[in-house]
Amino acid sequence: MQLDFLWTLTGFILTLLIFSYLFGDHFLFRIVAYLFVGVMAGYAAVLLIYQAILPRLVYPLLEGGALQTLQAVIPLALGALLLTKLTPRFSRLGNLSMGYLVGVGAAVLTGGAVVGTLTSQVQAATVGFDLQAAAMVGRNPAGALAEASLFLLGTISALIYFQFSVRDKRQKAERPPLLEAVATIGKVFIAITLGAIYAGVFAAALTALIDRLDFVTEFIFNIVF
Amino acid sequence: MKMRSPVVAAVTIAVGLIVLLGYFLPSLLVQNLRALLINWGVSLAGVAALIGILNLLAVHWRKANDKGNRNFYSLLLLLAFSVTFAAGMWLTPADPGFQHVITSIQIPVETSLMALLAITLGYAGLRLLQRRKGIMGILFVIGAIVFILFSSGFLPVLQQLPLVGGVASLVNRLPVAGARGILLGVAIGSMMTGLRIFLGADRPYNG
Repeated sequence: MQLDFLWTLTGFILTLLIFSYLFGDHFLFRIVAYLFVGVMAGYAAVLLIYQAILPRLVYPLLEGGALQTLQAVIPLALGALLLTKLTPRFSRLGNLSMGYLVGVGAAVLTGGAVVGTLTSQVQAATVGFDLQAAAMVGRNPAGALAEASLFLLGTISALIYFQFSVRDKRQKAERPPLLEAVATIGKVFIAITLGAIYAGVFAAALTALIDRLDFVTEFIFNIVF
Repeated sequence: MKMRSPVVAAVTIAVGLIVLLGYFLPSLLVQNLRALLINWGVSLAGVAALIGILNLLAVHWRKANDKGNRNFYSLLLLLAFSVTFAAGMWLTPADPGFQHVITSIQIPVETSLMALLAITLGYAGLRLLQRRKGIMGILFVIGAIVFILFSSGFLPVLQQLPLVGGVASLVNRLPVAGARGILLGVAIGSMMTGLRIFLGADRPYNG
């Protein structure tokens, strides 16, 4: 019971220290920020050792069969090479491991972008033009077509807004007049989207603020009464 | 001591292409090879993350030992790390007591930082309204106000109304169009970054 109170008191003090940021970036806020980074780094290191390094690289060498040992040797060697990145003198030895990581990461990124985003989002952008499906759920086909066209215009114009290309680095990035007009429409859609994202984040942050204020007042109420 | 760059580039491209082929070729050999390579990549990413933490500690160790300008905050960070690390290694991360202590620190700090975000976001929104009076700024603020109202329970009420209901539903879905454009842009950008690495045009591993 007393231990629970101690950790509730810790939470109360940490909350107040974080809220002290409202009066500026001063030593109280910095104390809690550095403390938090230290604790989280320690926790992350423990998790990495217990959940990644030991079961994937160490235990197969100690307890596994010949195939498991062989499968653990290569990442272990690459991991050892990666450790050389900590010293500037030998850091070039770690390039092979970095190259391996970059290769796997780039492939996962590219494959994920094609399979997970490009195909699914293109499909979602065009599915609204299926007027038979719209009629089957009782929607007016003309209305469904207008809505799908509006959404497609929004998607394409937002995409074009991010398009800049220059032949020479000294050249100013400019779009042709037609693309510029479409990009202006895209700007409108992006502003609406960012407004919606802002509203979502603000609502979530407001929920957290209410939770913290509730926690602080409840703690004080319990202490006083 | 120099690791030959072409060898590294060849390994990067070969590993990347095999993993990428695994997305599109149903061949069992390619699938197994891809799974093995990704598995090694995950193990290596674990080591890389640990190196990142070691680097963080090295930076703060230097700051804490700088005789001219000793940083006591760094000393606090190192102390917090040491205590957490020692306790975690001794008790294991699955220990309920250890987890309770970690969440007792993590939840109040993270929730309070999120709560601070509400105040800073509100302030930033007001500043934006004052400083940027262009179409983008005005639309952003109108959009934000409309969606805050929608998320606070107004939308179901509006949807009940005969003419306004359809418009309100359409406005509520409108951000999807822009978000889809942004997502497609990010995906194309990611794809181009990956392709530049496979072609050897970008070599971020040399350093």
